[in-house]
Amino acid sequence: MTPRESWRLLTTWGGEPGWNMALDEALLEGADARPVLRFYTWSPAALSLGYFQRWAELAPLAGTAVLVRRFSGGGAIHHGDELTFAIAAAQQHPLYRGEVRASYERVHALLAHALAGLGVRAELRGAAPARSDRTASGMCFHVSTPIDLVWDGRKGVGSAQRRAHGRVLHHGSIKLGASALEAGVATLREHAPALAPADLAETIARVFEGELGCAFAREEPGAAELEHARRRADFYRSDEFVRRR
Amino acid sequence: MRPNDRKYTKTHEWVKLSGEDVIVGITDFAVQELCSGNEGDLVYCDLPEPGRSLEVGETFGEIESVKAVADLNAPVAGTVLEINVSIEEHMEILSKDPWNQGWLVKLQPRTKGLDAPELMDAAAYEAMISAEKH
Repeated sequence: MTPRESWRLLTTWGGEPGWNMALDEALLEGADARPVLRFYTWSPAALSLGYFQRWAELAPLAGTAVLVRRFSGGGAIHHGDELTFAIAAAQQHPLYRGEVRASYERVHALLAHALAGLGVRAELRGAAPARSDRTASGMCFHVSTPIDLVWDGRKGVGSAQRRAHGRVLHHGSIKLGASALEAGVATLREHAPALAPADLAETIARVFEGELGCAFAREEPGAAELEHARRRADFYRSDEFVRRR
Repeated sequence: MRPNDRKYTKTHEWVKLSGEDVIVGITDFAVQELCSGNEGDLVYCDLPEPGRSLEVGETFGEIESVKAVADLNAPVAGTVLEINVSIEEHMEILSKDPWNQGWLVKLQPRTKGLDAPELMDAAAYEAMISAEKH
């Protein structure tokens, strides 16, 4: 008999944008060392800048949504009609061990498996550019790399990682519906019009359990994590951080 | 074999004596993990202001590749004397020569020597990364 690895599964629907980022910071810090998969949505909708992104690049979009900055890299994401997830685990966990590229390929293989169950044929982009690529929009979904997940020739999952103190947090954003700020990207509603974030989350969680051999404990965030999120939420939407570069 | 004239951390920084001071960088292994051999994948590097005081293990900067942001951690406690300003504009230096031209910060260490038990010599570091790969 092989014991299944215990993971936490957190779902927090309609989280305030600064709080969403601050809770992920708590998961990265890893007071609870178990691997964790968190699914969430945003209320109100928000525009998140990548950690190193220049404010001037996105300043024209201020006013279109609440602004936050992520601690993960990459371009900006409009968190409207989408499912967002975070996977936090030790850097030596089999999901993350080795090169960043390899860890992306593992995460994206799991997502592609889950999306196949919804009738969506998602695959790594490979060498050819995606049809959703745009120049100078500053948006994550308008820039693709060979290890991004695409379907219908367009980028459908935004991904970024933060690696700190021996842990990794992988951020992901899967578009359910279209956003005016992210024109031309792949969405799941084109294939599954009635798909809800919770249904997609459940589909992905089942694939993680099957493919990684883990067992999810469906929990609420811990008291210390909630206190951390409450204390740090303001920082992630502050001018000090949003306009840091 | 990696250079034996310096010590290494488990988070893949190196530290080397330079007179009374020390210089700090990241290893070829760290660079490879971030960019898989594509030096163009290294995008940004944030380094601290000279004068900043650092504790052992404290995050003193960040490096971004196309797909990940990674913290840079201080191998020893000390005060930042100088940073390698050419890195931010020429990230490819980290791929080409992480051991010399790719240094990141020079510190005035709080204590002399590199004898702290958490610092590894080249052989111990190589044993650690060999274990990480398997």
